Amino acid sequence: MSPEAQQIAEHIALLIRKPDMVIDESTPLVSSGLIDSMALVDILLKLEDLTNMRIPPGKVQPKDMNTIALMFATAQRVGKPRK
Amino acid sequence: MTKFRTLIDALNAAPGDRLFVTAWIDEDEREEVTFAEFRRRSRGQAKLLRDHHVADGDRVVLIMPQGIPVMTTFVGAMLLGAVPAILAYPNFKVDPAKYRHGLAGATANLAAKVVVIDEEFPEDLLGYVHLGKGTELIRASAGGGSAGEVELAEATIQPDSLAFIQHSAGTTGLQKGVALTHTAVLTQLEHLVARLKIDGATDRVYSWLPLYHDMGLIACFMLPMVSYMHVVMQSPLDWVMHPETMLQIMDEYRCTLAWLPNFAFQFVPRRTRQRALPLFDLSSVRAVINCSEPVRSSSMKEFHEAFASMGLKSGALQSCYAMAENVFAVTQSDIPQASGPTRIWADGPRLRNNKCVVPVGEESPGAVAFTSSGRLLLNHKIRIVSDSGAVLPDGIVGEILVKSDCLFEGYYNRPDLTSQVFTDGWYRTGDLGFYLNGELYVAGRKKDLLIVGGENLYPQDIEEIVAEHPAVHDGRAVVMGLYNPDSGTEEIVVIAEVENEQLLAHATEIEQQIRNNVVAGLGVAVRNVFLKPPKWIVKSTAGKAARSSTRDKFLREHPELNIEPQETLA
Repeated sequence: MSPEAQQIAEHIALLIRKPDMVIDESTPLVSSGLIDSMALVDILLKLEDLTNMRIPPGKVQPKDMNTIALMFATAQRVGKPRK
Repeated sequence: MTKFRTLIDALNAAPGDRLFVTAWIDEDEREEVTFAEFRRRSRGQAKLLRDHHVADGDRVVLIMPQGIPVMTTFVGAMLLGAVPAILAYPNFKVDPAKYRHGLAGATANLAAKVVVIDEEFPEDLLGYVHLGKGTELIRASAGGGSAGEVELAEATIQPDSLAFIQHSAGTTGLQKGVALTHTAVLTQLEHLVARLKIDGATDRVYSWLPLYHDMGLIACFMLPMVSYMHVVMQSPLDWVMHPETMLQIMDEYRCTLAWLPNFAFQFVPRRTRQRALPLFDLSSVRAVINCSEPVRSSSMKEFHEAFASMGLKSGALQSCYAMAENVFAVTQSDIPQASGPTRIWADGPRLRNNKCVVPVGEESPGAVAFTSSGRLLLNHKIRIVSDSGAVLPDGIVGEILVKSDCLFEGYYNRPDLTSQVFTDGWYRTGDLGFYLNGELYVAGRKKDLLIVGGENLYPQDIEEIVAEHPAVHDGRAVVMGLYNPDSGTEEIVVIAEVENEQLLAHATEIEQQIRNNVVAGLGVAVRNVFLKPPKWIVKSTAGKAARSSTRDKFLREHPELNIEPQETLA
């Protein structure tokens, strides 16, 4: 995992109060019920910081956030560089 | 009798050069229309719908993102005498399973002539849009119709014909379409204009509220449309992501009015606390109105303390009691009112034991605080009744019944549901509250309804899914909402009995499977799952799981979870 992916994995583990859980780039997060809507907002904000992108939330669907790999792909696809 | 016959007549009389809608997208991007431009685009959308054979009385379902196109398409449908209904647009916050469930039910019930979606509607969800015989799916043009004037012969609309259908919130409730006539909507809006002392030339609304919900549709779209106010709106998602933009927009546009659900009064301060915000100026705000959930004074206090330094007046925090079935508001606090809505403190034991509100001092031990939702609007009546239907005197908690001159006549296409909620012309709200000194206080939800982040959830829906797990004893699951002071809302807790004690060794695995099942079935996240040994859940005399007794037993075992909001009945 890249350092950014590692950071977001740790962020998610803390958010869902499972600090010992191993989350890799392909762990299903939304479809498994591990993260809910408010957590997704937190994760999207973290993703904005890590990628230095502004991510229009209207262009993001839950399936785009199901794994860490998908999250970074989504940021590249719909994100705008931050000013 | 209302000033205008129909909503369209009201719109047609609006001053053409006045700004109507600003859609705020980000710092660099926003779209604005005057009333004249809004009318022109609406006629363009009407023509598009007419080309697809939409006519008087047809239902038109709109599944489009927040913005001016969905608003002009909505009015475009009304111009033809058709009956539009806006449904939620899919987004990353809504799980597809829940979304599909609601979408399929609502579109099937409406039997629409046309379903309008936008260009970017996800392909994988299209299969869940119910397209019955004669229903056509069309994609809205992003540009809002042709550039020039559009010739359109408008339908002759009667005041008592249906104007639109709005859906009451909730999981199963999503299928309950509230059908409203032009007269009902105009009547409600006239009451609101009078109570809020609205001046279209000087007032300006800020909104992030979704247009498929009554607060967004009525207070932040229909009300500005007929009182000729400017509304500045952003998408709910942008607000959730960056709630400080709400303050920025209110400052930049000198907004005077906004409506918010209770949780937002905590969400915005908590989300913005860690960020170095510019000193926005909120001194223009006349009223930020807390409605829809029980009003909690602690949330409003938190909001005021966070933003008082920006000029937010304490009297600007106000309250109302609203529901889709009454178009919108039933009560509204008086504006201006220097210190906001009335607060009272009730003696705790007498409240819990006798449902009786005996006012005591704020410092009295065990006192329970209530915040008023305001006085009844003109021509509105309420009754507070006991479980047996007896009318209760002032100061006694019971179910709130409503009668008014803008009350709905029924759920669209659902006479079965309609007959369940009316008694002798009174609408039974399912909410608990009391009336005191001419003001209504909403105490909470009736019995078991869970209100999670502004959504009404029915525990039966979740219990049904939990009970399907093979390790769970049939019918032995109880779902409850437990208040989380950090989020300002209830969270879902599941208690389930396993078939045999040995299964408790696999508790972690079973709990995760139950979570997965609930999220797959309803799209809601469960805070905690507690597996209990056989015979743990308290049964009623009929052999069913008794929710309130089980809840009491559970909270005795887990006192750390027993955090009731100060203002809510135990």
